Amino acid sequence: MKGRLLLSAMLMGLLVGIVAWASPSLNNLVIGATQEPSNLCPWEGSADTKENVMGIFYLGLTYYDSKGVLYPGLATEIPTAENGRLVAFYDTAGNLIRQEVLWTIRSDATWSDGTPITTDDVLFTYEVQQTPELPISTRTYSDLIKEIIKVDNKSFWIVYKTPNLFYAAVAGSIGLARFGDIAPKHIWEPVYRQVMAQVKATPEKAAEIVEGQFLGAPPSIGTGLVVGSGAFKFEEWQINQFIRFSRRPGFFLGAPGAEANYLKEITVRFIVNQATLISAILAGEIEAADDICLAGQDPAVLAAQLGDRAVVETTASGFIEKLNFNLFPQCATAADLLLGDKRTRQAIIQAIDREDVATTVYPGAIVSNSFMIRGDVGFTDDVNQWAYDPEAAKALLAAIGWKDSDGDGWLERVSADGRTIEFDMHWVATVAAFRIRTGEILQEFLKEVGIKLEVENLPGSVLFSTEYLNHGSDCTWRGIVEYAEAGGIGQAPADPLSNELYANDLLAIPVTPLLENVPLLANGFGGTNIMGWINNRFDELRAQALKEFSEAKRVPILVEMQKIYNEELPTAPLYERSETVTKAAGLVNYTKGTAVARGQFWNAWEWGWAQNGAVAVR
Amino acid sequence: MLTYLVRRVLLVFPTLFVISLIMYGLLALKPGDPIDEMRRGNPGFTQEDYLRLRKFYGLDRPWYVRYWRWLGQAIQGNFGPSRQFGRPAAAYILQYRLPNTLLLSGLSLLLAFLVSIPAGVISALRQHTLLDYVVTVFNFVGVSLPIFWLGIMLIYIFAVVLHGFLPAGGFATPGLSGTWPVFWDHIRHLILPVAALSSLQLAQWTRFMRSSMLEVIHLDYITTARAKGLPERLITYRHALRNAILPLITLVGLNVPLLFSGAILTETVFNWPGMGRAIFDAILVNDFNIAMVSLMFISLLVILFTLLADVAYAIADPRIRYD
Repeated sequence: MKGRLLLSAMLMGLLVGIVAWASPSLNNLVIGATQEPSNLCPWEGSADTKENVMGIFYLGLTYYDSKGVLYPGLATEIPTAENGRLVAFYDTAGNLIRQEVLWTIRSDATWSDGTPITTDDVLFTYEVQQTPELPISTRTYSDLIKEIIKVDNKSFWIVYKTPNLFYAAVAGSIGLARFGDIAPKHIWEPVYRQVMAQVKATPEKAAEIVEGQFLGAPPSIGTGLVVGSGAFKFEEWQINQFIRFSRRPGFFLGAPGAEANYLKEITVRFIVNQATLISAILAGEIEAADDICLAGQDPAVLAAQLGDRAVVETTASGFIEKLNFNLFPQCATAADLLLGDKRTRQAIIQAIDREDVATTVYPGAIVSNSFMIRGDVGFTDDVNQWAYDPEAAKALLAAIGWKDSDGDGWLERVSADGRTIEFDMHWVATVAAFRIRTGEILQEFLKEVGIKLEVENLPGSVLFSTEYLNHGSDCTWRGIVEYAEAGGIGQAPADPLSNELYANDLLAIPVTPLLENVPLLANGFGGTNIMGWINNRFDELRAQALKEFSEAKRVPILVEMQKIYNEELPTAPLYERSETVTKAAGLVNYTKGTAVARGQFWNAWEWGWAQNGAVAVR
Repeated sequence: MLTYLVRRVLLVFPTLFVISLIMYGLLALKPGDPIDEMRRGNPGFTQEDYLRLRKFYGLDRPWYVRYWRWLGQAIQGNFGPSRQFGRPAAAYILQYRLPNTLLLSGLSLLLAFLVSIPAGVISALRQHTLLDYVVTVFNFVGVSLPIFWLGIMLIYIFAVVLHGFLPAGGFATPGLSGTWPVFWDHIRHLILPVAALSSLQLAQWTRFMRSSMLEVIHLDYITTARAKGLPERLITYRHALRNAILPLITLVGLNVPLLFSGAILTETVFNWPGMGRAIFDAILVNDFNIAMVSLMFISLLVILFTLLADVAYAIADPRIRYD
């Protein structure tokens, strides 16, 4: 009898947890993610892993909506020339030499502990951002700032010494903190001052002090008071498990109807294994997925599995999967394959049915022919579509001397010094399942035109290491390296006008050394132009575009850049990657809409359950 | 015995030194460093940023210089901070990962031990019966099924098909409060990963126990004991089992450290935040400090548990003597 009672109690206990997950009745939301931020420091961190989570409890000066329209966030309005908040100064030659932007923080903008957000927070944020002793990952935009001038407690001028086209955009482009633009001074200043004092006292231990006491400070790792500027406030962080947020009552951004109709709590659950995460979605433990965790999943399959319990949505990710060619003449293997001749690259792209590749390995992806993404300012589809045409590919290859002399199915040519070279090309990518499949498919397509593809898959930490990726001139990778890069964007910079395509930064003041962006021995293998592509006209246009505030005038520049790129093909774009998210039936306004919106979590204040009266506005 | 123990303990230090040197060297040889991780996540990352950060983190120094500095700090108990988690690496592992691994691995080991011994004994005593065949089939299945597949299948059946009867993974349900609900919630989260992780050990140890028992029960002294009229229960559990279990003790001792590091597949599938996963992730993202402290800890465990197994063997078998 006692045994049966115990067994019953245990079974009841097992069932207890079934109803413990969030549900519309609790007006909560559990979101699944495969990547967890390493800290909550507003200045430092990797974009992908942190941006979503930080976006729940931080709000920047501006934000993009699901249609790519920029709105003021913490700011009262977007600075423009029309409203007098953007002032540009030109020299007699018409070059933009100075730019001043006036911002005003909303009078009702406060931190989640009620402290007002003021200009002092801005000044402090910038001070920290530019502290040389701190390992801030990048200072690309903050280095453009000459000074910040306080007007009053809520208004300030940012004076840029070099033009910043993206002075009002998100993701740190303004030049303040990477996440949320403005950091809370009253929380971080004690930490910062103490760390700097210790660093000055024991400079030989600077790295340890900063890592342990700045990046590892309680507000950074969630063990102390964590405040943000967004619609939700931080509640708890169980490392490797979840982060929980609760709604800030009366936040100035809201949605139609009563605030009580919208989510009161959000939990982001971290499950690194995608299969386990999908199981949790199917089991109903997770009601929505972020825009990263379902990479490579077939939306149609997910939709069939979920039925009417959830909606599956795809959006452009802003990332373009592409084949990067080794164009370095120093790499003999690549030079032997004539990869430096654009006809070779044009032949290769025509030999691949990219539509087939996209639909097979990345359902929802769209074939790309540009370095920019659809929907962005200046994007054009009026370029060569490089349709799948193996006969045209063969003709091009024959025109530059490749032929199957011995009848074995593979192309050969005789070099100038009399060597017989077989078209045996190295292709390397990460070990992601969809890329392994891509390699297999490319092998088949290129075989049809006589190109032998030697595939190799490496862990990302090896492939993207400087010793590997930046040493194309040393033939570490000898043909093609495939990965996805953020599309060069004319409106909002994930990667401002494709960092990897220029060789000389003609915008930099002072002018940078020759080929600074091409990794070579002379510059210590620095730079992001890992293909070694040099096109002076492209560099000139890039510099022009980055100085042109008028979108109408910037568009033709961007169009010409795309035409050059499309003709030269330093990289062969395969497809624009899509992102798949799931959201439980009834969840409204949980949508990214466009890659320009940056992340899925841009509008947490609007999320809610229709069952609770939340109104769908997206 | 005491001399032997002292000698073995003293050997721990030079052993750990050599292991740490090899591990640090291997990690340093791997292409990539933490700065590459930063570069990947931040468009606009310049060569100046790269050089600045390399210098800041001391990565511009040769690996053996960095190792020497690390060793000096490690001897004082400072294993450096984790770049992934922003916390001291040792504290992070000991506070957040080790207890989870101890819980998961400990329960798996206990389950495997408690089930495999009686299962092996019964199977041996009832050799060639239906019960023996059933146990044998389960053993083969347990040895053959990959843990990650078994784990996914358990999740699919108990979480998806049975609509959340058991959780699909994780450590705890967010937002739950109250002593008993939290306790039962942890139990629920443990059931599937423990079952998956113990499956291989259980199958292996059952087979081992069965073989060992079969060997012992046919020895002359067992026949003599029966001839003398001793109760069968006494013969089995006092005489036969005691000798048959000796090799299993050694096996268990050698397997314990593996449970700490080898649970990576289980931890990945069930999203269990343990040490196995920590080591794997740390190596991939070049978080040297986490990787080193975890690997050193496991090395220490291997050394200690090997010693414990030897000592336990000597205690269990009076014929064994160490000098």
